[in-house]
Amino acid sequence: MKLIKKTNTYYLFFLALLFPIMLGVDYYVIQYTVNYEVEDILLHEQQRINYHLAENKELPSSNYLMETKALHSNKNLLGVFRDTVIYEAYADKNVPYRLYSFTATKGELPLRVTLKHVLLEINELIWWLFMGTSFILLLLGIGFYFINKKIYTWAWNPFFENLSKLKSYGVTQEKPIHLKSSKISEFEELNEVVTTLMEQVRKDFQNLKEFNENISHEIQTPLTIIRNKVVLLLGSGNLDKKELKLMQTIHQETNKLSKIGKALTLISRIENQEFKRLDSVDLCAMVTNIVSNMEEIIQFKKLQIDAKLDTVVIECDHVLADILFTNLVKNAVQHNTQGGFLNLQLNQEKFTISNSGEMPEVEMERLFMRFQKGNPAKDSVGLGLAISQKICEIYGFRLVYERNAKTHSFSVFFQ
Amino acid sequence: MKILVIEDNVELLQDIQNFLEEEGNICEIAPNYKSAYDKIGFFPYDILIVDISLTDGNGLDIIRAVKRENIDAGIIIISAKNALEDKIHGLEIGADDYLTKPFYMTELNARIKALYRRKVYRGNREIFFNEIKIKPESYEVFVQDQLLNLTKKEFDIIHFFVVNKHRLLTKEAIAEHLWGDHIEMADSYKFIYTHLANLRKKIAKLGGNNYVQTIYSVGYKFTDRE
Repeated sequence: MKLIKKTNTYYLFFLALLFPIMLGVDYYVIQYTVNYEVEDILLHEQQRINYHLAENKELPSSNYLMETKALHSNKNLLGVFRDTVIYEAYADKNVPYRLYSFTATKGELPLRVTLKHVLLEINELIWWLFMGTSFILLLLGIGFYFINKKIYTWAWNPFFENLSKLKSYGVTQEKPIHLKSSKISEFEELNEVVTTLMEQVRKDFQNLKEFNENISHEIQTPLTIIRNKVVLLLGSGNLDKKELKLMQTIHQETNKLSKIGKALTLISRIENQEFKRLDSVDLCAMVTNIVSNMEEIIQFKKLQIDAKLDTVVIECDHVLADILFTNLVKNAVQHNTQGGFLNLQLNQEKFTISNSGEMPEVEMERLFMRFQKGNPAKDSVGLGLAISQKICEIYGFRLVYERNAKTHSFSVFFQ
Repeated sequence: MKILVIEDNVELLQDIQNFLEEEGNICEIAPNYKSAYDKIGFFPYDILIVDISLTDGNGLDIIRAVKRENIDAGIIIISAKNALEDKIHGLEIGADDYLTKPFYMTELNARIKALYRRKVYRGNREIFFNEIKIKPESYEVFVQDQLLNLTKKEFDIIHFFVVNKHRLLTKEAIAEHLWGDHIEMADSYKFIYTHLANLRKKIAKLGGNNYVQTIYSVGYKFTDRE
């Protein structure tokens, strides 16, 4: 849930909770004020009546006067307020009144005077209060919403800008990340923490990458020396058959080491996304070219080729496409039986290459893992399929292996 | 021919020097950028062999300097980096060839000779080995002046052999020369074996000698010496 939605929900929730409370408080405050005003008017009227009685000895005319009652005893009753409803014929309903009864003196006689003042109708009061409060709350709500929205875009702006920077940042980039600074101290703190963290990760990654590159490059020069010395020894003519065999083993293992180094560099370069070009690769031409490069070996193994290649153009790095399809074709040729078959099929959906061959000794799931070899006796290092898999991964292709009795097939599904 | 080898690993530098001198070349060495830069300014060389990563500089800068000063020398890059961009970049700034480490001396030798032939003789040079004559530009081989009927790969094999005469050519080196280093098939060795047998027969038919010696399980030597 987005922050703005979350905060707005909270606002709404609290407004809903506050609404009846505010209504209640409003009601009592207004009622109290109105009563107080009414009482004030009645008390004022009492004073006027008392004054008039003292001066003129008779009751003045009053709009508030309800009734007078002569008292027989001369006990001085205190003024009393009370509420009542009186039927008003003109409105055909009971109307609420505030009454005030007090004792005045007319001549020598005590007189009980009751004054009345009409009160606001309670139902109407509640209704208007409800409407008024609702209206205020609605205004408040709308105001909050827009203010919140404004604050959200304004105050959180550096945060979102940095977020999108972080999203597009990868540790493979060589430049350190620069986050937008903010006047808000929490964001500034977050920026510092994130920058430090990212810098650490980036440095570690660069170090690892350099180490990988260096090690596979640096071994190549010593390997050149070892191999050339071995070839010199092999060619010296002074070695007997047993020694020749030993030297030959060193020679072969040196080759293997060099190939492992090269293959691992390639894998890490693919993983580091160093192949970023998007060429339009004509797969039909590419596959045809790869097959013709291996033509002699294919003829030599007397393989029956059946190729159904449509013109397919995909967007990817030319180098990687070449590595991928060379690996697959090479695999199919290498693991083929003498006089076997080689079927190639290319259409918009997929590329499939199947060949005759013996069952590989490795389980199907493990075939794509590094250093897994279908046949341990063969002179390969077992990285070809791991590389092919990596290449497929970065372009979202699916590499599928199927086999039955004597047929193996690899398919690359485009998208 | 006169060759300058620029490589920061002294052991490899000496190996290359020994090999090239045995081949009858004048070979000078430069273990770093500075001495290489000094040497190319003073002496004329036919071929420069340049390692890209030097301790005190970049081999590509040497190539740039050579091109800037219009020095007429063939340039072969030897690099530990097997990256296509490096190769393309190197060739773009004026190198003639690019060899990835580890390389066989025989491969380097073949590349040097091919480059020298292209540069100095414009390709019009025949290579002789006793009764065998090779015309590299037209892919023709003659035995006692009779044209030998060869496939492309057979031509490559015999050419590679003659260029590296008297040298041990391991079957790996031959396979790498024929297909590049991404081919690693046991089949390729069988292929070489079969084609060498064909080659011997074809040469014998035209009255040529069998100069191919088999070194047990290792490779072959093309020689008329015992």
